[in-house]
Amino acid sequence: MSNTDSITIAPQSVRLFFQSLFKTLVYFILLVLLLAGAYKAFPLVVDALFLIVIAAILTAVFNPVVDRLESSGLRRLYGTLLMFGGIFGMVALGVIKGIPTLLNEVGRIKDIIQENSATESLNSMMGDINSRIAEYIPGFQLDLDLISSLSAQFFSQLGSVLAGALDTLATIIFILIITMFFLVDGKRMTKQLIGMVPNRYFEMSLNITYKTKQQLTNFLRGQLLAALGVGIQSFIGLSLLNWIFDTNISGVLLISTIAGMANMIPFVGPFMGMVPAIIVSLFNNLGDPIAASHFYYILHIIGMFLIVQMIDNNIISPIVVSGSMEMHPLTVILLILVGSQIGVLGMFLAVPAWGISKVVIQEVYQGLKGHHLI
Amino acid sequence: MKEKANISYPLFDSFKDKLKPKRSQAQMALSQVNVFSRLSWQEIKIVENAVHIRNYAPGEPVFKQGDPGSGMYVIIEGCVGIFLDIPQQTPKQLSKLGDGDFFGEIALLDESPRTAAATAIENSTIIGFYRPDLMDILKTKPALGGKILLALSEVLAVRLRSTNGELVKVSRKLEAFLESGANE
Repeated sequence: MSNTDSITIAPQSVRLFFQSLFKTLVYFILLVLLLAGAYKAFPLVVDALFLIVIAAILTAVFNPVVDRLESSGLRRLYGTLLMFGGIFGMVALGVIKGIPTLLNEVGRIKDIIQENSATESLNSMMGDINSRIAEYIPGFQLDLDLISSLSAQFFSQLGSVLAGALDTLATIIFILIITMFFLVDGKRMTKQLIGMVPNRYFEMSLNITYKTKQQLTNFLRGQLLAALGVGIQSFIGLSLLNWIFDTNISGVLLISTIAGMANMIPFVGPFMGMVPAIIVSLFNNLGDPIAASHFYYILHIIGMFLIVQMIDNNIISPIVVSGSMEMHPLTVILLILVGSQIGVLGMFLAVPAWGISKVVIQEVYQGLKGHHLI
Repeated sequence: MKEKANISYPLFDSFKDKLKPKRSQAQMALSQVNVFSRLSWQEIKIVENAVHIRNYAPGEPVFKQGDPGSGMYVIIEGCVGIFLDIPQQTPKQLSKLGDGDFFGEIALLDESPRTAAATAIENSTIIGFYRPDLMDILKTKPALGGKILLALSEVLAVRLRSTNGELVKVSRKLEAFLESGANE
């Protein structure tokens, strides 16, 4: 074939624009890395990597949606913009309406717990609960101070996590922008990166990348769908408890969100989702004789969450979550212990992060084995 | 007879050149492969964006025998040999492929191990079209993916028919051989 045929069609201006933006982004990251190395500013590098990793995870979650929009004939850029329009709309709505309400709710419960005036009611409530427990388990006593301090600590940490999220709104927007670039031009970026791999390992790298991406997408999508399912069910369940039994559980949206997110942690998650609901019910019903006679609706809440778990374990999770999350209970406990060193967020992220790593390791191992490299 | 004047119009020729669609080497190579031959130039351009163009030095393996198959290759420029590895013997060369030739298209559908090795004989530029690329096209451009799959199915059907024909011939020969053996 003659060389005169090797002239390619000029890329479209939009693609050219994003290409140059991508190049700028790459140069910027490289510059940041160089500067960080020069000034020994290791935390900066970690922060930049953290943003990219989070954006990559979000890309894996949103990619199927953009693919679907593209398959319906919409250009990838417009599909991405459409999806982000929706996300920004929801985030804006959440920031304007939801988060202040949630923060108020968290603050209110924290105040109730910390208020000295409530101590008497607390004492009477604990006395009541202890006497009820003593009917079934003689000699068993709940420690009021311990419960109070644990509850205060829990809500205080939760408050700081939410407040921190608001403070880092700029970071979130930055992550979303990187995600947008990854979604529009991610395939080209991956192609260019894989293109650097030597011929000998090229096929294998391509396969491993594809399979890992597939597994990760399935895993993350499954986790999020299951979390959403548990969140919605908890919201409906708690609302029903409020409506039927007048349980006076406030912050249903917040508790449901916690329950949904906590569900990503096997074994411990469902319990973590249940605890805030019980604490809120206890503190909202202080000094209420009807609530006291119903054992502060603790059994109702436990029952409701058990039903949610039954629906999740038997109907939702088998459909949406891939089997890659199967872990030994001991592994989960150890991961949560390690994660707790970073804080509440670490506890939430430790198990999913391990799940992701497990998928990547499995795929890389199988790829290397298939190509007789190990 | 009056001789036709060979007059050139530089401005007109320049416009004509500009209006003529420009095709890259990869597009030209892809359009010659039976799997893509029925695609429009616009569709071939989408395939071109999905494929990987690789350069191989002489003696460098494209893939080895026994590797899991993951895609097909189209030679843009150069020469590739298909070799059968025989234990304790030098590899046997089955064929030699050149510009525009393609190989390994069945690996787009099946991950079973490669039955032979492919090695570049001279400096070669090769297009690699792999299963992940096909899956991506199927996801984002289902109509185009469908066309490629249909063409692949046709390739398979032709080969199956040819194999059946060969099988019939061999079985007839075998029958004849067995009959002659029985008569003797």
